[in-house]
Amino acid sequence: MESHIQTLMEVLQQTKGYIYPNEVELHWGLLVVVYPYVTGLVAGAFILASLERVFNVREVQPTYRLSLLTALAFLLVAPLPLLAHLGHPERSFEIFLTPNLNSAMAMFGFVYAWYLAVVLLLEIWFDYRKDAVIWSRHETGFRRLVHRVFTLGANDLSEHAVRFDRSAGKFITVIGIPSAFLLHGYVGFIFGSVKANPWWSSVLIPVVFLFSAMVSGIALILILYMLTSLFRRMEIDMRCADKLGSFLFYALIIDFSLEMLDFIHRLYEAEESIGILSQMISSRLFISLVVLQILLGTVVPLVLLGIFSPAFHTRAFVHAPAELRRLIYFCAAILIEVGIFSTRWNVVIGGQIFSKSLRGLTVYKVELLGLEGLLTSVFLLILPFVILYVLVKFLPPWPEAEAAAPSEPNS
Amino acid sequence: MRQQVSRLTVLFVILIGALVAARIFLVPETFGELGHFRAAAIGDIADLQVKYAGRAACAECHTDVEETRLAGRHASVSCEACHGPAADHAEDPMARQPEKPVGRALCTLCHGYDPSRPTGFPQIDPAIHNPLQPCTACHQPHAPEPPVTPEGCSGCHGQIARTKAVSHHALLPCTTCHTVEEEHKLNPSASRPTKPAARSFCGRCHAPDATPPPDIIQQVPRVDLATHGGHYVCWQCHYPHFPELR
Repeated sequence: MESHIQTLMEVLQQTKGYIYPNEVELHWGLLVVVYPYVTGLVAGAFILASLERVFNVREVQPTYRLSLLTALAFLLVAPLPLLAHLGHPERSFEIFLTPNLNSAMAMFGFVYAWYLAVVLLLEIWFDYRKDAVIWSRHETGFRRLVHRVFTLGANDLSEHAVRFDRSAGKFITVIGIPSAFLLHGYVGFIFGSVKANPWWSSVLIPVVFLFSAMVSGIALILILYMLTSLFRRMEIDMRCADKLGSFLFYALIIDFSLEMLDFIHRLYEAEESIGILSQMISSRLFISLVVLQILLGTVVPLVLLGIFSPAFHTRAFVHAPAELRRLIYFCAAILIEVGIFSTRWNVVIGGQIFSKSLRGLTVYKVELLGLEGLLTSVFLLILPFVILYVLVKFLPPWPEAEAAAPSEPNS
Repeated sequence: MRQQVSRLTVLFVILIGALVAARIFLVPETFGELGHFRAAAIGDIADLQVKYAGRAACAECHTDVEETRLAGRHASVSCEACHGPAADHAEDPMARQPEKPVGRALCTLCHGYDPSRPTGFPQIDPAIHNPLQPCTACHQPHAPEPPVTPEGCSGCHGQIARTKAVSHHALLPCTTCHTVEEEHKLNPSASRPTKPAARSFCGRCHAPDATPPPDIIQQVPRVDLATHGGHYVCWQCHYPHFPELR
């Protein structure tokens, strides 16, 4: 008991003002920051994929399959931070067996399952089925087995069947867009519906989450597209890169406007929490919110993309050579990723470091080791790329890997 | 039916079937009887070992302490809040003696100074309130005395008052050396108390031929003001609230 009290006293010395005893230690740490970040990347990547399929934005076609696979790789990792945070991952399936309709968190399992099984896997299946059938005919060993299992034995390559694949894929994408909105809007809803927390409780939070998800997803695909082209020694399609840069600009400006609207609304309302929130922003969150999220993560990329991407006209304000534009897009996308991670940090950690007494601030120190430590978070952020590598090995998303339609109408 | 649809239908039927089977075999029997939980869990929890005995159990043996505590300001503080869980001690008093908090950490959890605590709640700043002393050296935790509200000078100059209280000048009222106008109590910075400005002031007690109050005369150190200290005023070298020389 004495040692517990000593530990508590040490932590208390780092707090400022008055906080309730149960607020000294943050209950949601770095892993809960990683969770909405990864989920946002899933939703953003999928919405980008839908641009090509549903809205016929032909320029982004080279990233269509890459977006789907990226969304899948990140979706597979999305629940892991929660499982690591909650502990007892072996019990997680129970939320499916005993669904609790009154719990928004428990319902996430169903939103996740719907999005994984009904939207993403089905869309990938329909999109790759024809190729997988053709690949499996020319392969041997393990790859052949994987592709044969992937097709589920549906090896009909007739024109009707292939057309059905396309129609079904498009239909699923149409369902997938609201599902992607649901997936990440839901994550925002979890925070926005905590009415006791003035930092979270806002109807704008789900919408802000959604648009920041789109921003982070598009930026991630832009980075991946450039890096994979570099490693494959393939020329980057600048029409695609320009279009991605433009969409990134549009999404970012909506996201920034919504965040500012939320900010101004809070300032104008000036509820009793405004004092402690201002204090928090100017002290504990200054670097992560003002510097990383707003300045480096939003304003700088907005200026870069606004000037160099063809967001307003068919030509950019400043016409830079392709190589420079690629560099600028890449830097802007990296800054955006850092900025969006800071956004998640500011929401999750910011909502817990001020006291609900509105009279004090606590501290959050990231631990290095341990299940909720920095290393686990870094591992969970690297894991999707490893999964994506494996997926890309078996389901190459490159246009040149697409199998030509066979001459025989049916196998 | 198209081949793709039929294969997917089979797959989804298998998955949904697996879910239904899992529900049948894995959901505990008593789940949902009383709410969204396993009703039998109540029995499991009831079987857990009890760690806290409760104050009534303590009072059965420690009647004197209980009476003292109930009459004092810690009446609402449970015994095990300070002494830790003691169900095993209540069961078998010889098995283990409950902890006796030592040091200052436990008391200051409630009584350490915090601006948002209610006015009048006894609070101290552990850094300057008798540091290194365990709280129980002065305070009886079962019947803590209400703090005396400082009056006069010690109301604001508590640290000086406490220092002086253990010094050789303990018996001297502040006004022996300082002249304080009434205005100082209302507006401290507008009217400042005087400080002795001449060596002869201290000499009233410490000069060889001085006549200090008769009850302390034999203990007063004497010094020849003509040769000691040059032209310095005494308090430039000696701290009068805690004079070091006898």
